[in-house]
Amino acid sequence: MAATGALAKKESTVASAAAKQKQLALVRVNVTGQSYDYFRPWQKKAPFSKRALGAVLPKGRVLVTADLVANQNYVELERAESGEKTAANVRVIDYEANLALLEPTEKSFLDGIKPLEITSDTVVGDRLAAWQLEPTGALLATEGLVTTVQMTPYPIDIGQFLTYRISIPMQYRENSYTVPLVKNNKLAGLLLRYDSRSQLLDAIPAPIITHFLKEADTQDYRGFPSAGFSFFPTRDPQLRDYAGEKGKGGVYVTNVEPGTPAMKAGLQVGDIVTGIGNHELDENGNYVDPLYGKIEFTNLLTAHAYAGDVVPLHIQRSGKPMQLNLTLEHRDAKDYVSPPYYLDQAPRYYVVGGLIFQELSRQYLKEWGANWQREAPQRFVYFDHFQSELFPERNRRIVILSQVLPANNTIGYDDLAYLTVTKVNGKEVKSLDDLAEAVKHPVEGFIKIETEEDPKQIELDATQVAAEAPALQENYGISSLQRLQ
Amino acid sequence: MKRIFVIGYAALLLASVAYAQESTPAPPPVEPQVPGQQPGASRSTPPGQAVVPVPVPIAPPKPNGPIQKSLVRITATAVDPDYRAPWNAGALERGVGAGFVISGNRILTNAHVVANTRYITVERDGDPNKYPAKVQFIANDCDLALITMPAPDFFKNMVPLKFGGIPALESTVSAYGYPIGGERMSVTTGIVSRIDFQLYTHSSVDQHLAIQISAQINPGNSGGPVMQDAKVVGVAFQGYSGDVAQGVAYMIPTPVINRFLKDISNGHYDEYPDLAITYAKLQNPAQRRFLGLQDDDRGVLVSSVIAAGPSDGILRPGDVLLAIDGHPIASDANVELDGERAQFEEVVERKFRGDSVKFDILRDKQSMAVTIKLYKPWPYSLQGHSYDVRPRYVLYGGLLFQPLSLDMLEAYRLTDLRLRHFFEYFILEQIYLQHPDVIVLSNILPDPINSYLAPYRGEIVDEINGKKIRTLDELSDALAKAPERIVIRMIGEGPPLVLDRDKVAAARERIKTRYNVLQEQNLEEKPASGLASAGR
Repeated sequence: MAATGALAKKESTVASAAAKQKQLALVRVNVTGQSYDYFRPWQKKAPFSKRALGAVLPKGRVLVTADLVANQNYVELERAESGEKTAANVRVIDYEANLALLEPTEKSFLDGIKPLEITSDTVVGDRLAAWQLEPTGALLATEGLVTTVQMTPYPIDIGQFLTYRISIPMQYRENSYTVPLVKNNKLAGLLLRYDSRSQLLDAIPAPIITHFLKEADTQDYRGFPSAGFSFFPTRDPQLRDYAGEKGKGGVYVTNVEPGTPAMKAGLQVGDIVTGIGNHELDENGNYVDPLYGKIEFTNLLTAHAYAGDVVPLHIQRSGKPMQLNLTLEHRDAKDYVSPPYYLDQAPRYYVVGGLIFQELSRQYLKEWGANWQREAPQRFVYFDHFQSELFPERNRRIVILSQVLPANNTIGYDDLAYLTVTKVNGKEVKSLDDLAEAVKHPVEGFIKIETEEDPKQIELDATQVAAEAPALQENYGISSLQRLQ
Repeated sequence: MKRIFVIGYAALLLASVAYAQESTPAPPPVEPQVPGQQPGASRSTPPGQAVVPVPVPIAPPKPNGPIQKSLVRITATAVDPDYRAPWNAGALERGVGAGFVISGNRILTNAHVVANTRYITVERDGDPNKYPAKVQFIANDCDLALITMPAPDFFKNMVPLKFGGIPALESTVSAYGYPIGGERMSVTTGIVSRIDFQLYTHSSVDQHLAIQISAQINPGNSGGPVMQDAKVVGVAFQGYSGDVAQGVAYMIPTPVINRFLKDISNGHYDEYPDLAITYAKLQNPAQRRFLGLQDDDRGVLVSSVIAAGPSDGILRPGDVLLAIDGHPIASDANVELDGERAQFEEVVERKFRGDSVKFDILRDKQSMAVTIKLYKPWPYSLQGHSYDVRPRYVLYGGLLFQPLSLDMLEAYRLTDLRLRHFFEYFILEQIYLQHPDVIVLSNILPDPINSYLAPYRGEIVDEINGKKIRTLDELSDALAKAPERIVIRMIGEGPPLVLDRDKVAAARERIKTRYNVLQEQNLEEKPASGLASAGR
């Protein structure tokens, strides 16, 4: 490709064309927010502020990443050229696809800006310009080359989404949190992550943005659909032979999650999925996309299909071809035993005496930081990771005793932490609501908590717990001893 | 992980002479002494070394006698098993440690000085010769070993050391050894800082009483005596490297040493028995009332009882242990033994396999007495280091199957969540009942028959052709009797691993030759070598 040298060029054709446009379809987005403190679940952490860019779209909407506005308290839009500001609301947010739509409270705020159209035809070898703003409000455009189009996990690690990988030497500017990627003055993608060492940028591609916008126009945003099965390549001829697969291609179904579209459609472990709709799958699960060539079939379900769509699934079962019809659904975070994310919502907790009970979630584990998979309590990481295997009933939570606040009623218990609660006062506990209900019924004046791990049993004096509650709240600044909504 | 402390060549004779001169005005050592032993009497010049009277830099404040007549230097050549290529003999390692003569013409040292050894030599003060030695008994669970000297005259003029008791806190002790780079025996002094249960890192799974001392103990002190009033009060064995904690060193105290010596008196080392229970302290007043206990600060709560242990069927979770062999157990799990407070397990620690221990317990608010006949529960060995055994494995179709163990996990640096879980909870979740061996597909020697099997690496074998696989023997057997198509199911989701028996058979010689596999399986943890372990 002749364009390799162009990466270093300051002035590219794409950029200069954009600069000629009078009013950029870019606004600054200033966000202040507060995350919940999972270690002190009754309070929020210190406020953060982020400055970013938003792409102005038709119908007076501004597109940003969900990352930017998650746990926000206040979102403000700022005109690039005038510095004029207005408050904005988050109209739709999809944490899994990492996209959000903002709307200014003043309807006229975006007047005079020609919104960006979206182009979905980007392919490997195309050049895209990253649009940033200079402090003056002038455009800073950097050009990069699309090197691959592939399925990758997004920050909220649920399934995989289509991603453009772009080789681009980005410069640091304030407001660079979300950066639009533009092709011929049309929006081609939004910055997902950037590695300054390798100068590789991953972008949320236009097909995902389009999908999000189309859903967002409906009354009730449902999110990206999933099928609910996991699969394994069938490259190994010995495995193909065992599965009775005589043709070519297809993937081996390794797990079908209860309650998901795949389960409802009758898919079974050991089936070979050979095609989806009109597309055939190869041994690695790739189909031939008209734009990108070989790419994983999950793209057909996320980018191209919507919740409620019926998708024909071609399978081989013990060598016999069959067709199953999947009615796709979006799986909500709350439909997991250990929810994968919990944003813009206050965490649930329940305090009994000095004992703090919470529900296990990946959001809680992520409180241990970027290396949470190594640093969080390993037993909980194991529960979270293997949740569908360990808790196939699905319709439950894992209640944990996360920590103990030293108080008179918890003397001798203060070293306890990270225990899994099985029963309270003899009643099984599968959610904090179960726990809250069971706590109300002490047995002979004692609240008895049973845990899966040692010490296996913890008893509190119910009267003492009630009597000491005000002092505990006062002492540790606990605004409320429970949050169950 | 292995703590062979390598020392320099210490000029024992020079030290001996100088020491004797310095200590002449001091009161004569109480013991050990041998008739005719006079200051300077050992002034026999080793060949090639000039005698220069150099004063020893540090003289112990309380002379412990001529330790040079008791201390020996042990050079051990070890072969550490290679868990990544278990058919190989493993890497040669050479280390030097200390030891000392005790009654009965025996030399006491640390197990970690002589573990996995194939050849041992011992040197003594004033003698240029290196004498071959043999390990007579090795106790990897308490890091002690006894070696014997086939040379008939070796112990002539050597002075056996005698043992003292547990030194008092804050009292001064002296450690003898050859710390890093030292040319001659060094003495360091310190005080007794703490007496408590400690993890013995040689096995990494056993906890026993250990005494923390402030004396500098460095590589080279291993196996050396720590003395007070001319008696051995401990064997230096482990410490922290300087970047973790300064001046924290540990010695094995005499109760542990005496127990070891008594255990082997029947000609066999039986290892420590264990109750195989977990318990919780009972310091919460409400919990005490719930359990029907008085406000008398007594009792601990049984949390788990391990089925493979001696307490199974005798103790139950929820029992309160009130007394052990008549010693009241305080609510913080301590008992009073010989005027010292110690964790109640210390009572069990001093017992031997086949001994009994009696508990007074409270069960469902009723007082009872129970007796437990002690033995060592087997599942714990998975979580500790093994020594002097060949790793067990089966190689089939280039697939290496190995039972999960600490050594194996460390060799592969495996961090897989499921494997870690099976390892950590092997005992507490009683995983050993279903999987006495947790058999891991640990490695794959690439060959056309296993080209696509890499994703199975690190997984745990569940069944073969429909039969649950509980042990490595069962795996070997199932593979040997396999039908044409071998279907291996792993734990967790994922397709089975499918092999064609005839193709495996055809690839067998090819794989053996290409990877120089000397032996395709080892099912028994048999001793690695007869030489070092003679007499065990």
